[in-house]
Amino acid sequence: MADTPIPLEVRNIKKRFGDTEVLKGLSLTARKGDVITLIGASGSGKSTFLRCMNLLEQPDEGDLIVHGEEIRFKQTRYGREPADWKQVVRMRAKLSMVFQSFNLWAHMTLLENIIEAPVHVLGKPKKEAIEHARALLERVGLTARADAYPAQMSGGQQQRGAIARALAMDPEVMLFDEPTSALDPELVGDVLKVMHGLADEGRTMVVVTHEMSFARDVSSEVIYLHQGLVEEAGPPQDVLANPQSPRLQQFLAPKY
Amino acid sequence: MLDLHGYGPRLLEGAGVTLQLAILSLALAIVLGLLTASAKMSRSWLLHKIATLYTTLIRGVPDLVLMMLLFFGGQMALNVVTDALYDRFGVDWYVNLNAFAAGVLTIGFIFGAYMGETFRGAFMAVDHGQIEAGKAYGMSPWLVFRRIRFPLMMRHALPGLSNNWMVLLKTTALVSIIGLTDMVRVAAEASRATHEPFTFLIPVALIYLLIASLSEWIFARLQKRYNVGFGEH
Repeated sequence: MADTPIPLEVRNIKKRFGDTEVLKGLSLTARKGDVITLIGASGSGKSTFLRCMNLLEQPDEGDLIVHGEEIRFKQTRYGREPADWKQVVRMRAKLSMVFQSFNLWAHMTLLENIIEAPVHVLGKPKKEAIEHARALLERVGLTARADAYPAQMSGGQQQRGAIARALAMDPEVMLFDEPTSALDPELVGDVLKVMHGLADEGRTMVVVTHEMSFARDVSSEVIYLHQGLVEEAGPPQDVLANPQSPRLQQFLAPKY
Repeated sequence: MLDLHGYGPRLLEGAGVTLQLAILSLALAIVLGLLTASAKMSRSWLLHKIATLYTTLIRGVPDLVLMMLLFFGGQMALNVVTDALYDRFGVDWYVNLNAFAAGVLTIGFIFGAYMGETFRGAFMAVDHGQIEAGKAYGMSPWLVFRRIRFPLMMRHALPGLSNNWMVLLKTTALVSIIGLTDMVRVAAEASRATHEPFTFLIPVALIYLLIASLSEWIFARLQKRYNVGFGEH
């Protein structure tokens, strides 16, 4: 255990947009096989927190350690920025992100989307990348759509394709930013099923979600955020089944 | 049969000059345009100001005036430099501004400003999520540009680019002013000598039209290529 570095550790992340402090000191440790879900109302900072983990947002304060390597920062006149962008690029390749609006590259077929980063970022031979991509497409049930462009696919298909793209990187940690929020209700199930499968095979995942059943069934830890702070955290059987804070109780209560 | 009074070969040579001038100017304009667009979108205050000054200046002054300013003014500036080199350091070095190079520089410089606006609009039309996905997958800024930003931008830029090219092509006719023998100059000389202007001007018009039609065909193919994945519109 001591020999394998922790896939992702973030400590005391703070972030402000203008005068509003959206993250007020958040920490999280994702050990191998952990599935951590971040829940909370809109504006609680959960997506921003997730985006700080791969530096799509620059945290104003806090540490980020990916697979044992600490990201170095420096102060510039535009604020705090990574000291070495090459390090960031290297670190991002270990974390793959699944976006709310899929963000499959529109000018590439699904198969091209999946092999793009493995070939151009990891330097994997194209033939090998294609074989791997086909296996992943089979796994997410999209074998027949390999040559389709994103615009020709349903939202659910695009999101499963985006998960295949994320898996193709063999990531240390997968980051999911509300992966089912942009989907029609009848398409949510297929995406959740794929995510369940990933959790079962021991993938390390950090998931921002509104799907409470998913959080309950697969999380090793649930973190409830409120206004940029952790209000309650712990295993789902405590946090979701027996919430202590009145805010969380209200958040979890049926809305109608 | 059309009798060109022996000016045929020179007219063709002139057409070659026009085409070379246009293509090289286009290449320069595209490079300058991409740089200008990047500068305008950069967060550096200075780069932004320089790019704005450039586009404002170029777009506000007639092409013909700019061309003469750059050609004659450019030679004067060069002379000042070479004179100073001789006086101070004894370096005996003199550069005569070549009319062709001056033409390419001037037209490229003028159209770089228009291209800059075309590219800037096109870059801004690219869905930001596409760029973020590139970053999130460990792509370096250059890789994001080459594989994602540029191909997606081109789809939006091509209509404007093709329009700029057509105007640029016709602007090359102005270079006869600075003494470059393009096909317009050959036709003008031949018309004066033979008193048959239409014999030369109509073929010249047809050659421009031919180049323009050919370019339209090329741009249509490019548009098709960059529209891949976006359906039939």
